[in-house]
Amino acid sequence: MFVNIKDLSFKYPNSTAHCLESFNLTIQKGDITTILGESGSGKSSLLRLIAGLEMPEQGSISVDDQLMAGPSTFVQPEKRGIGMVFQDYALFPHLKVEDNITFGLHKWSRKEKKQRLNEVIELVNLKGYEKRYPYELSGGQQQRVALARALAPKPKLLLFDEPFSNLDADLQLKIREELRRILKATGVTSIFVTHDQDDAQALADQIVVLRDGKIIDLGTPRDIFGTDCDFSDRIAVKPRVLSKV
Amino acid sequence: MWLLKGVNVLNWFRNIKSNWNTWTLLSILFIALILLPSLSIILQFAAETNENWIHIKEYMLNTYIVNSVILVLFVGLFTAIIGSSLAWIISAYDFPLRGFFQWGLILPLAIPPYIGAYTYHGILNYTGVIQTTLRNQWDITVDQQYFNIMNMPGTIFIFVIFLFPYVFTITKAFLARQSTALIENARILGTSSWRIYFRTVLPIARASIVAGVSLVILEVLNDYGVVKYYGIQTFTTAIFQTWFGLGDLDSAIKLSGTLMLLILGLLILERLLRGRKRFSFTTTKVRLLQPVKLQGRRKWLAFAYCMFIFGIAFIIPFIQLISWAILTYDQSFSVEFLQVIGNTIGVAFVAAAIITIMAVVISNVSRLNRGLFAKVFPRVTILGYSIPGAVIAVGIVSLFIGLDKRIYEWGFTSSYILSTSIVMLIFAYIVRYLAVAYNSVESGFERIGTQFTDASRILGNNVTKSFFKVDVKLIRGAIFGGFILAFIDILKELPLTLILRPFNFETLATNAFNYATNEMIHEAALPSILIVCISAISIYAFHHVLERE
Repeated sequence: MFVNIKDLSFKYPNSTAHCLESFNLTIQKGDITTILGESGSGKSSLLRLIAGLEMPEQGSISVDDQLMAGPSTFVQPEKRGIGMVFQDYALFPHLKVEDNITFGLHKWSRKEKKQRLNEVIELVNLKGYEKRYPYELSGGQQQRVALARALAPKPKLLLFDEPFSNLDADLQLKIREELRRILKATGVTSIFVTHDQDDAQALADQIVVLRDGKIIDLGTPRDIFGTDCDFSDRIAVKPRVLSKV
Repeated sequence: MWLLKGVNVLNWFRNIKSNWNTWTLLSILFIALILLPSLSIILQFAAETNENWIHIKEYMLNTYIVNSVILVLFVGLFTAIIGSSLAWIISAYDFPLRGFFQWGLILPLAIPPYIGAYTYHGILNYTGVIQTTLRNQWDITVDQQYFNIMNMPGTIFIFVIFLFPYVFTITKAFLARQSTALIENARILGTSSWRIYFRTVLPIARASIVAGVSLVILEVLNDYGVVKYYGIQTFTTAIFQTWFGLGDLDSAIKLSGTLMLLILGLLILERLLRGRKRFSFTTTKVRLLQPVKLQGRRKWLAFAYCMFIFGIAFIIPFIQLISWAILTYDQSFSVEFLQVIGNTIGVAFVAAAIITIMAVVISNVSRLNRGLFAKVFPRVTILGYSIPGAVIAVGIVSLFIGLDKRIYEWGFTSSYILSTSIVMLIFAYIVRYLAVAYNSVESGFERIGTQFTDASRILGNNVTKSFFKVDVKLIRGAIFGGFILAFIDILKELPLTLILRPFNFETLATNAFNYATNEMIHEAALPSILIVCISAISIYAFHHVLERE
């Protein structure tokens, strides 16, 4: 398995309750996995643990056969080779689009950087916006820059923390379809956190439904939302977990 | 069971190992250094008492406590009234020169109270401008008792007019940003202005007013210049007298310890007064309070009130200082005086730079770590600001003399090196003013959160690289603000500098104070006016940075 999470437990220092408890999950290479859950279900904490921004209390996380966190191991986030798109994008406001995108390409030569910049800029359809600052872009454009920045260093795993929550409904629909296309084109394994069932359904190869830090359902969108799932009319679909989420 | 314990131990080592970096090590070192002087006082506080201390306790301690408490109570009360009322008028109403008063009413902070004290004494005494004019122009000789400011009410007056900006700025910031919905609601409900002030503004701004008054009280308890010049016996003057008059460091330590206990009590009282209530909203959507345009008589009343306070707290002493400086310019200005300016700016610059670096390191560690570091570090950094300069001086001298003795005994040096050098003074400034820069830097970090650092780390930069490539660029204003605030405070500082400066080392503050205590008030004007001007420019620069951000 490409991502292997075993018996993972975590709680924040000032809290008594666990965000995640004895959590297990495996993800295959190239798959898009969606973690679906209400706020407070532990989905963002799970993402931060995989990224190395939090330290687990118990359990282990391995990515591509490399142990990232375990009883005596903790690989710092900068050493994990994992990309992440944040909820509000976290684009560096003092850097232009091109500098934001090449930010993670430290050891690359100038020529390689330029080449990679052109590749990802084309992939996310942002040609001509390289010299702009983030505040000069619309919400959707900022989201694409965040995606390009995360993809540029060719991460082995890409994490998304509710990246559509700041977009209006029309844009959300358009971008998530484009996102699936881009992710499948690059073949990068992705974990996508959301509270929106439509997002989960449209993007995922595998859906994990989370509540109070525990998995309550797991399967393909068809498994979760029913065999008669009609992706062209998602709103009409009655997912089997609706009452649980 | 054993296996579980083993895993926990491994986790513990892993957590320590991954949190342990240069930033954490430096922070712990800085925090330990800051704690040392206070620890030195606490350890020696319980030492055996001597005759001097028994005498002080029996005959004098009561006076020190009563005088300090009277000062604290009245200065606290009047600064609360003046500061909060000005903050309300400026935030809620529009009237002539309102824009200027917004920052003009902060300017009295540029005049250290000790300079204000001797300036007002100079204005009001027998040879001062008022009495001379009355005598020469109209042949009126006044009863001296009505013009004597060197007493308890005069001391309270000086502290109130030069320290009220602490309450004014904090309350104004709160009213302008946090209270809009409540005040607009009160207005819609047809409540009168006075009623809004007493029934809405004062209760909701209580926490800000208490915070401002606490800063004022800490400044009052820290002061040496005003009380010494006006002859009021307080803890600070007592520490000086016991130490230099009686040559008794042990009793000075005991007095310092008692004062620390008094301040601890006050800080606990402040917490209780603030109560459980929190008056800030959790939303980040800030809507500024729109000032109502005043008309007719009310417009001029608001203007007159602000102008009156600005006049007595800044214009009058400032003009008086300038006229004295012009009178004595020839005698005061010399090569030695240039040396004094160099000393002051040099030492303030170096100390403020070190303070800012330390503040940045400590606040970066406390924001990136949860748990103990995040809780303990901010509290320790504000410790120094709560402790009066004279007390810090006592702690530092006893610490440095102890260190020097060790170094001397081990044969590294042939004389006491540390306690006679500028290092001791710079160290004292750091302990006392770290909180000033820390608060500014911390608010900058709070504003940007940790998401940019997280993003940078995920993109392959470690904490240090992320700090220089991202964080520092985003909080430049807050870092600069912290530096400026620490710089101004050090520039004006008196008690620490008087006690800890090396032999023959003069700053503008000690220079002005020495002239004033030698009854050479006119000669004191030139160094004073330089302090006021540099502080005023720095305050303006700071205000400008905040506005831009």
